[in-house]
Amino acid sequence: MLKVKELSKNYGDLVAVDRISFSADKGTVFGLLGPNGAGKSTAINCISGLLKPTSGHASVAGHDVVTDGKAARRSLGVVPQELALYEDLPAIENLRYWGKAYGVRGQALEDRVAEVLEYIGLSDRARDLPKKFSGGMKRRLNFGCGIVHKPLVILLDEPTVGVDPQSRARLFDMVKAERDSGACILYTTHYMEEAERLCDSLAIIDHGKLIAQGSVDELRAKLGARDVLQLSGHFPIEATKQAIDALVQRGNRDLEFIAQEEDSITLTLSQASQHLPAIFDAVAGTGGSVTETSLRSPNLETLFLLLTGKELRE
Amino acid sequence: MSFALTSFRKDISRWRQDYMATLIWISIPLMIGGLITMLMGSGVTPHGILLVVDEDETFLSELVVSAYGARELGELISVEKTNFDDGLERVDAGEASALLVIPNGFSDAFFEFTPVTLTLRTNPSQTVLPGIISNVTEILLDAGFYAQELFGDEIRMYVSMTDDPGDAQVAAIAVAIQHKLQSVAPRLFPPVINIEIAEPPPGEPAPPLALLFMPGIILMAVMFSANGLASDYWRERSQGTLRRLVFAPAQLGQFVAGKALAAAAIIGLVGGLTLVLGFLYHGISWSKLPASLIWISASGVALFAWFAALQMLFSTQRAASVVSTAILFPLLMAGGSFFPMAVMPGWIAVIGRASPNGFVADRLTREIVESGAWLIDLTSWLIVAGAAVVGLGICTWRLRTGFARA
Repeated sequence: MLKVKELSKNYGDLVAVDRISFSADKGTVFGLLGPNGAGKSTAINCISGLLKPTSGHASVAGHDVVTDGKAARRSLGVVPQELALYEDLPAIENLRYWGKAYGVRGQALEDRVAEVLEYIGLSDRARDLPKKFSGGMKRRLNFGCGIVHKPLVILLDEPTVGVDPQSRARLFDMVKAERDSGACILYTTHYMEEAERLCDSLAIIDHGKLIAQGSVDELRAKLGARDVLQLSGHFPIEATKQAIDALVQRGNRDLEFIAQEEDSITLTLSQASQHLPAIFDAVAGTGGSVTETSLRSPNLETLFLLLTGKELRE
Repeated sequence: MSFALTSFRKDISRWRQDYMATLIWISIPLMIGGLITMLMGSGVTPHGILLVVDEDETFLSELVVSAYGARELGELISVEKTNFDDGLERVDAGEASALLVIPNGFSDAFFEFTPVTLTLRTNPSQTVLPGIISNVTEILLDAGFYAQELFGDEIRMYVSMTDDPGDAQVAAIAVAIQHKLQSVAPRLFPPVINIEIAEPPPGEPAPPLALLFMPGIILMAVMFSANGLASDYWRERSQGTLRRLVFAPAQLGQFVAGKALAAAAIIGLVGGLTLVLGFLYHGISWSKLPASLIWISASGVALFAWFAALQMLFSTQRAASVVSTAILFPLLMAGGSFFPMAVMPGWIAVIGRASPNGFVADRLTREIVESGAWLIDLTSWLIVAGAAVVGLGICTWRLRTGFARA
């Protein structure tokens, strides 16, 4: 349903998106994860036709977004990161307008608008102006405007940024409902927990490149059962590295050094809690000190850390 | 074309939520127009009051007083007799144009060739009417001097007669006057200087200045509306709706056409209201209204399109707003919205007529001032239509080339 092949977007020397490829099927949610500035929105803009790719291809429901742009756009629903609503037009008129912009007319439009209003929980506020709505209500209407024409593919660009927990939960329900009704959803976020909760498969993007891709289970398997251990304090760089290597030599074969700075080190290993005394001893033997310890179970957040050596929200 | 209508309905619906802006577009020009029309008047002839204190109360003083109310002068000036204190108070209060004091003994002094002083006190808050009264007084004094010179003896003889003069006495005075006239006739007839007065060709009377000012006022409302509506592209951009529109298969050209239709409707309403008020005030024939209304609506769309195209050239809304406002007011001045082009110096009027709004105002002036209806020529209609099409084309081009995507 959605295919992206070797897609690149350059701005002069800056490579915003670097030959990314992925595909997503009907009735699935594909997550595109990465920190701010990783290239997620640029990729979305290329797929939606807002930007022309420098190279590569993207197709929506079999229509190339560049050579057959109009047909591709007809099958595409976009929910942009920033609100894109007429604040001075009643909610129902917003939905009608955007439905017509996608060629929906007559009774089909009226039925769909009523359905979407119900779906986004704004039936009782249909005649009100969005400027009188709360932030969450505006987000829901923003979502409704993107799906009012029943698109085959929906691009959701960080839809939960700045949304209160209640509206976020409602948005999740709406995404799941669209997926269950057969839509293919491309969901970008930098919240790993959202991706784990919603996505059937996902890709992790950093500096414009896809650095991992697969189902959530496949990506978790890459971590194995290893925990992520982050120690804060003071660590002599070379001595600490040698001490950790010595621990590996002494039998901690799955211990892996991910990142080190003078005030923190990050390690992964299985059953980390059982090995904490040995690690503390090793650090103490180098003249270093530990002031704070953070132990995390394996998840996508730790996978990102493993792959990039940095936190997702950095 | 159906999306153009959708876009049109959307903009009209949004406009209904913000009618205050429209009230401002109408009320400012009406306020300015009303003030200037009050200052100029609407073609009504000025009329003043001359207060006369006649202390002499003789035949001659009556003759002088009646001279001010004679013939055409009587349409300009009403003469009222009063006493000195009342006259002084009324002139100082600005209720009269001038106060003339004819002193006791004026008549005797006139016939006896002795000096006498007439006092004329004028109202300093008026300029035209006191000037006319002052000039008339000087002419009367000149006439009196020449009458003294020529017929002083005869007049004295007539006045000195206590009883009704007999036929022989009247005949003697008449003969004496006749002789004097005959003696000066060779020097007066034929006159040494012949003055030929060239009458202007018969035509329609010049329209009042306030009427000539009306198109400029209407164009001010149209310009405010066009500029205000043009900024909606920036509003849409900041709301993210232009960007969302690019995601959709709807054509940007139809979106622009819809906006133009909405602008035509709103400008038609604003211009229509100001036109109707102007027609009512000046008593203009209603048969001229359809052409005038269509003309300003069509021109309004062209102005809207060019304001929008201009505003979309800038990278920030603030810069767009500052520049379009900076252009708007000089255009209003040149185009006759603050001074009718009819009273501008020739070269400024030429520039004014060449300005976009001046061009429109000039044709509208012709439509409402001259007799008949549908007087605007085909070339002017084509120029406006062409300007609108080109302006809207530039708007569409700017939307496609990045304005909507930002």
